Amino acid sequence: MLPALPALRDLLPRGGLARGSVLAVPEFGLLCLALAAGASAAGAWCGIAGVPEAGLAAAVGTGLDVERTLLVPDPGPAWPQVVASLLDGCELVLLRPPVTAPVLLRRRLEAVLRRAGGVLLVAGDWPGAQVHLRVITQRWTGLGDGHGRVRACCAEVTADGRGEASLTRTRWLWLPAEDGGVAVADPVDIPVTRTPPGLRAVSAG
Amino acid sequence: MRPNADSEPQRIMVVRCPPLCGPDASLAEPQAARLFERVIGAVTGFCPSVEATELGVCAFGARGPARYFGGEGVLASKIIAAVAELGVESRVGVADGLFAALLAARRADPVDPVDPVDPAGPADSAGAILVIPPGGTAGFLAAQPVSVLADQDLAGLLKRLGLGTLGDLAALPASDVASRFGDAGEAVHRLARGLDLRPLAAHPPAHDLSVAREFDPPEPLAEPVVFAAKTLAEQLHAGLAARGLTCVRVQVRVTWADGEESSRLWRHDGLLTAGGVADRVRWQLDGRRAAPPDGQHAQGGIGMLRLVPDQVVRATGHQLALWGEAVVSDRVARAAMRVQAMLGHEAVLRPVTGGGRNVSEQVSHVPFGEKREPRLAVGAPWPGRIAGAAPGVVYPAAREAEVTDDAGRLVTVTGRCVLSAAPARLVIGREPPRRITAWAGPWPLSERWWDAAAARRRARFQLATDDGRAWLAVVRDSRWLIEAGYW
Repeated sequence: MLPALPALRDLLPRGGLARGSVLAVPEFGLLCLALAAGASAAGAWCGIAGVPEAGLAAAVGTGLDVERTLLVPDPGPAWPQVVASLLDGCELVLLRPPVTAPVLLRRRLEAVLRRAGGVLLVAGDWPGAQVHLRVITQRWTGLGDGHGRVRACCAEVTADGRGEASLTRTRWLWLPAEDGGVAVADPVDIPVTRTPPGLRAVSAG
Repeated sequence: MRPNADSEPQRIMVVRCPPLCGPDASLAEPQAARLFERVIGAVTGFCPSVEATELGVCAFGARGPARYFGGEGVLASKIIAAVAELGVESRVGVADGLFAALLAARRADPVDPVDPVDPAGPADSAGAILVIPPGGTAGFLAAQPVSVLADQDLAGLLKRLGLGTLGDLAALPASDVASRFGDAGEAVHRLARGLDLRPLAAHPPAHDLSVAREFDPPEPLAEPVVFAAKTLAEQLHAGLAARGLTCVRVQVRVTWADGEESSRLWRHDGLLTAGGVADRVRWQLDGRRAAPPDGQHAQGGIGMLRLVPDQVVRATGHQLALWGEAVVSDRVARAAMRVQAMLGHEAVLRPVTGGGRNVSEQVSHVPFGEKREPRLAVGAPWPGRIAGAAPGVVYPAAREAEVTDDAGRLVTVTGRCVLSAAPARLVIGREPPRRITAWAGPWPLSERWWDAAAARRRARFQLATDDGRAWLAVVRDSRWLIEAGYW
């Protein structure tokens, strides 16, 4: 079990990232980086493959240690071999596959993953993933009508999956909070104005 | 036991060829330079690291070679004989410092032999060698007239002031000389006291230290090539070690029978064993199999394997990671290097956080295995840096976008940062339009205006859209670009 950030523990079965398991987030974003940050802060090496636009300054804010981060921005057509090699060295690999992996390839990589005892965090589609997480709603604070700064984001994150993760859990988080970290949002902070026509729940994470 | 480098002064041997230098040079410069190249080649046979101080004069640290050849005098005679074979006359001076050794070589003259200051000093019978014994350098220098200094104006001035010899000069307090004559005075005062201005800068020889093995007939299997690589690596290490050298990186070049070539640099730092080098050759061949160019396998097998040492440096023992730098475990290094073997050295990066005004500058990437240094200083204030949250998504290349107002007209920014209208809609590339719910800006940024190539002027905005996301947008040359996204 790799540790997760305290604010994310309620969302994950047994409060961490189970070794040998796959976690999937539909789209790359700060949630992916925050999921990796807990393990990285605890000393794990973290490989990021196929995500050239990973905002590492934000990741550092959530707790990711760049000293123990390897980036493979463009793994190319040989990405399964790259991921398998990275899993040999890194406890956690964050991957955005260039295409949805066919089922045989997924089985093979999952076998490598179990043997290596690592965690695969997929930013994209991975039907067999043990846990699926996504951001349902999010709202940035700090911006006005021509003034202000983007400060923090209140996000509703949901997690479901197979086995012990099959129970759907939903939490409101500051992702990120004003200090750049991740925190559980107070109920009073949660944007209640969900009725205005402009604000609607979107599925994209 | 090895003598302590601090307590014992350096012994410098200078070889001077009067026909090639000085006032009585008998050859034209290009011809002399060519001949001098061959002289250095001959001297390099005795000591691998020789500094050419000027045309016709070269110097090297004599302690090691002298011990090996049985004394400074013996070494000097051998060098003179070797240089004489090229048809060049030479003189040799040995002393405790470069300056004194240069003077000694100039003084060593068989036609007009001068007495060494120290009567015990063994002047060669031929007179072509002048050895100032260890500790005798101060006395030798003290007796030299100030006219030996390169700065003739200063020498003339010193003489008129009654300082006829270097000994007179050295007797003065350093601070007085410095305050009267400035830097030049301080420098000659150091010389007069037998202290050199700089250490000898001898470069390692430009020998071809690479090793190669040809496979005839071409080898279709990787295994025998990897096996041969181990032997080659042993040869490479032996060749480097024989010259007291090591390499920072080693280049592995594989040529296939059909003429295709694969070349990769691997970090070496003198730490790899022959087996380690062979492993890297294996990875390089494996990587080639995993990602063949244009989906084709090279036909005909491997024709040639070559190992080339890159950045050859003196072997001074290796340095471990500095404080604060996470020590990369073997397991991680192996994984990273296997990926490098597949995709190339530049494909595996380690991030370094640094300074900078733009989000894309604040993290730089360094290929795995190279030294990690931030490109822009972290401590500098970077005014104009956007405060607040950092974006989770930073596009390596900004994405084209369009921002329009309520009436559907493109929002423009004037040179004085006046907005044509409040932004209302954002269209990024071919994505469906998003409604802008909140925004801030424009924040002008005019960077590096002093450098036409790097100068950038733009206005930046933050836009929040109705899907709950926020964006960092810039207007440059009246075009909207999305640099980063917040989600």
